[in-house]
Amino acid sequence: MPKCTLDQAEIRGIVTCVPTIEKCIDDEVELFGGNRKQIARLKKTIGLDKRRVVDAQTTAADLCDAAAKYLLRQLECAATDVDALICVTQTPDYPQPCNAAVLHGRLGLSTESAALDVNLGCSGYVYGLWLAQMMVAAGGCERVLLLAGDTISRIVHPKDRAVAPLFGDGGSATLIERSDRSTSAWFSLQTDGAGFQNLIVPAGGFRQPSSPQTQEEQTDAAGNCRTLEHLLMDGAEIFNFSIKVEPQSVSELLDYANLGPGAVDYFVFHQANRYILGNIAKRLKLDPAKVPMRTVEQYGNQSSASIPCALCGELGAVLQGASTQRVLLSGFGVGLSWASALVDMSALQLCELIDYPTAE
Amino acid sequence: MTTLETFIEHFEDAVEDVAPGTLSADTKYLELEVWDSLAVLTVIAMLNAEYGVSITASQLKTLTTLSALYEFVSAEKAS
Repeated sequence: MPKCTLDQAEIRGIVTCVPTIEKCIDDEVELFGGNRKQIARLKKTIGLDKRRVVDAQTTAADLCDAAAKYLLRQLECAATDVDALICVTQTPDYPQPCNAAVLHGRLGLSTESAALDVNLGCSGYVYGLWLAQMMVAAGGCERVLLLAGDTISRIVHPKDRAVAPLFGDGGSATLIERSDRSTSAWFSLQTDGAGFQNLIVPAGGFRQPSSPQTQEEQTDAAGNCRTLEHLLMDGAEIFNFSIKVEPQSVSELLDYANLGPGAVDYFVFHQANRYILGNIAKRLKLDPAKVPMRTVEQYGNQSSASIPCALCGELGAVLQGASTQRVLLSGFGVGLSWASALVDMSALQLCELIDYPTAE
Repeated sequence: MTTLETFIEHFEDAVEDVAPGTLSADTKYLELEVWDSLAVLTVIAMLNAEYGVSITASQLKTLTTLSALYEFVSAEKAS
């Protein structure tokens, strides 16, 4: 069971970069067949409103690149001092080579460094933090740059009401550095492959390669339209999964760390939607003031970038430079995969949300 | 297990934009004007929270009436 305690590294900075094109569900009345009442319900209960999306020329790599350059500049860290680059993404520039290799070149990292991608979404940021901490603990990596970003807006069908109004785009960069005065970080990670079809892009890979058939639009029983090369999400199954596994994962992690919820300053979940988060928070009896859940309504569900976006967007001011902030991070979703981490943010010097493109 | 009456109250409470006292045992909930993907989630959440019972969207689709749903939930709770 992959639970572990790591205490050799600290998180020095987190930057999230969001595109400036904003879409609003109020402008999509036609998508909902003129049903303004339904839109009002979705806004009120699920928490859908605005989201930020890229244009056709911008990729997750671009957003991560901008976040990373800003991060390194503000922290006065040379790219050549980075020993490893991890890029968490499910929307890479190319089927190969990996985003990390491409970004290695764009950022000017040293050839004496490791670079690799992690193909996870909602749980990806926590998995990435786990890997980064292990790289430092294992030795040989003083500094790890963790990038996490996705452009899910580019893989949803515009006439699929189940997903189109929900997903936004974002890219983030986090610097993890060796420290001898760092405190413990606790991690736990889980997977359930039996649920792999509940959140999937069925075609375009090697199981079902791209063809004229996979690009045919089809309308499902609920009246939603998509092709096999678009994201398919079974909302009810994902909801069932989330409310079952998340409270358990968080409780078990707290038990493992021998801490109660009172000892945690903030619980930052993958920002799936406000309804799921409210439900999870209620089950865990958490103080709502400790649970940011306003990210989806401003930026959309940004997959691997959603946790960093919530940290930078909702907690940036309070986390930056504060002496002790213990934060529990928990991502859950595509895979099905989930992971929780209890980390100390006391070394955090930078926690900022920036717009793309950024002025140089 | 609560009475059918109370169950219907919980159901009315869970689904957005449904006024209390408007539904009955033979209400075909799939045909309600407000029945959409959000309604499915709120009912799933309610059954979980109030009755400790898990249900899938496809099970909800086949049960169709509130009395059938009530029987399903009672049976699940008993097992």
